Amino acid sequence: MARTISVEVVYRGIFQKTLAKNICRGIVLAARKEGKIGIAFGRYGDSPERNGIPAKNFAIVAPDEETLQLSMAQYEPAESDITIAVDDTLCKGVESWAWYGLQPINEKIREGGTLVVTSTLPAGEIVKFCHTKAHPYRLAVIPGIPSFSGLWVYKDDHTDVRILGALPKVCPDLVSLDAMLAAIKDEWKSDLKVTSARRSYEQTTTRTVGPGEGNPEVPYKFDLPGWTRMREGVTIEGMKLGEPIQFGGQVGGYRPQRNPYFKKYTTRTMRPVIDFDKCIKCTLCWLQCPDSCFDVMPDQTYDLNAEACCGCGVCEAVCPVDGCITMVNESAFTDNKSQWEMWKTNKDAYRQWVAEKIGCRPERSHGFRYKGQYEEQVASMGAASGGGQGGGE
Amino acid sequence: MDSPELATMPLPVLEPIKGVKKAPLEEYFTSGHRTCQGCESALVMKLMIKAAGPRTVVLGSTGCMYVANTTYYSTPWVVPWMHTQLGSSGSAAVGTAAGYRALMRKGKIKKEPINVISFCGDIGGADMGLSAISAALQHVDYNHLILLYDNESAANTDIQATGSTPYGAVTTFSPTGPAKRIFHTRWKKNTAAMLAAGHPECRYVATVCASYAVDFMNRVRRALTIGGPTFIHSFDPCPKGWDYDPMLSHELGELAVLTGIWPLFEVEDHTLRLYGKSKAIAEGRQKRLPVRDYLLKQGRFAHFTEDDIDYFQAKIDDMWTQWLIPGVLPFAAEVLNDTPPA
Repeated sequence: MARTISVEVVYRGIFQKTLAKNICRGIVLAARKEGKIGIAFGRYGDSPERNGIPAKNFAIVAPDEETLQLSMAQYEPAESDITIAVDDTLCKGVESWAWYGLQPINEKIREGGTLVVTSTLPAGEIVKFCHTKAHPYRLAVIPGIPSFSGLWVYKDDHTDVRILGALPKVCPDLVSLDAMLAAIKDEWKSDLKVTSARRSYEQTTTRTVGPGEGNPEVPYKFDLPGWTRMREGVTIEGMKLGEPIQFGGQVGGYRPQRNPYFKKYTTRTMRPVIDFDKCIKCTLCWLQCPDSCFDVMPDQTYDLNAEACCGCGVCEAVCPVDGCITMVNESAFTDNKSQWEMWKTNKDAYRQWVAEKIGCRPERSHGFRYKGQYEEQVASMGAASGGGQGGGE
Repeated sequence: MDSPELATMPLPVLEPIKGVKKAPLEEYFTSGHRTCQGCESALVMKLMIKAAGPRTVVLGSTGCMYVANTTYYSTPWVVPWMHTQLGSSGSAAVGTAAGYRALMRKGKIKKEPINVISFCGDIGGADMGLSAISAALQHVDYNHLILLYDNESAANTDIQATGSTPYGAVTTFSPTGPAKRIFHTRWKKNTAAMLAAGHPECRYVATVCASYAVDFMNRVRRALTIGGPTFIHSFDPCPKGWDYDPMLSHELGELAVLTGIWPLFEVEDHTLRLYGKSKAIAEGRQKRLPVRDYLLKQGRFAHFTEDDIDYFQAKIDDMWTQWLIPGVLPFAAEVLNDTPPA
């Protein structure tokens, strides 16, 4: 009866690299406690990874070595039993180093498989982000603010063991709870971590996502030439120059052409919201944006191209006006429409929209800001995150 | 320097940009590159080419700005761009400039100013490609600019230490641990001053930081219009390798200048000038901020003890108080406190 089980972890490059590694490593260690065999690895094309750009790690568990090797013939499993999205905004789809176009978060999930998401949102809201599938699958939400840290300093908020603890519940074939807890105890030497994992096991529930349920949008994809169709010297066309912008009767400003094969917006976990009434036209957001995602509008304000923005937050940091640019949780948006056009079309409605968006601005951790920050954050999370700091019984 | 051929090579006319509102609207390095969120080096590419304009050829040696910007069959470059090997940004610059000169001499292309810019990362420029850059700066009858974007590590391949990595920083090669808190004990290489001092015929060498965008673009314009080989060293905060929230990229560039860690200077025809905030620091108009303000915002220095911070501060203090030319040339009467904490 025993079979190969594939787990895929989709994570934010660099920010969640250690987290993804811990999860996959934990799965394999737990499998070994039960006499199974497993392997944890990163997807080759995802390295060298970049801050925020979606990346993948895998754990494959098999009853014996021969079965494992058979499944390792592919460098990435064709389908997953469990896909773990360690950040809820990944559910909008992911565009990575390793492939072109938008890949739905649930693309690899087999019929009856499970999507595990860390989020503060209810399952019903997360389903709306996920692209529709022809077959049913299940969704489990691990409540909590998605855990972000960096390459060198890890934020130990127990997200790793809370996800590990949920896995025996959503897929008992993978590994038993006892084996998982024993592996966690061995790996981290922490009773608190074991408690967090057990609590997560007890609290995790799943709901079924039916065929056709979710975001009906067709993900964009590109047809790029294979090596037999490449030009001499592997030369390619450069980008074209941009043009002035026409809106109504107005012509002016500048909109650059943008690389059509990589949009970068699935890198974003926060999005700038611009209050055009406050803009003093100082140019800094436009000039200092590493991704050139601002268009210079005919009235010399600066509009965000939300398909090019990766949400770094530099524009908010350099803007000299309080409340002119505000970074808002990406989960508050469902499209990439022009904010400037909304403002031009109906200023009152736009002001209301801005106020509403800025209102849903939960504090998201976006990496290391100062020494001691992670300790403060973890201490303040306590039981609300279902967290590990709650202690014993 | 006064070879007849150089005298006939046209130089571009690029006036200094007077303030952010006069920055050219056109982007020649546009959106859609696979760099990190808040990548300051991508901003360096954008400002560099915005300043240089459309009649420019860009050459890039291996590094983040090659790999992330030219992933399979796509590019954000509007101007012609070519990859060259890790150590060869200097040779590629000379070769390209020589090639254009020959084509113009033979009448195969129109005689017009064409900028040649060759960029390299810190490992490609300050370490591995140093000899080729040195040679390029001696070939004074070719016009080109070599721009070193320095993110203080081999950031493309997961942050290995280089000669430009600062003292004590965590990298893949220099982890911190209970047995050895400080693994990387080398002090950062002073590349721009070394190249300026070592190549007396080179007419322009500058340090820049993209947090000061107008100063940055004007240094690029000066380098391209002065004639002969020139060199610019850019200081680029890197959210990936320095481990900080990407929104701090701009601020960390400013802090590096304001703490005195990254002095802004230019050497033009043997005349050295500190400029911007660094000039204000040297003249006592701007108080140097403590280095801890800069260090403790980065995960790569999170293991620093007070002693480590003090040591770092003392080295920076020496740089501004003991060096023969503050912030630039370390020939000092006496350098103090040169013993790292245990």
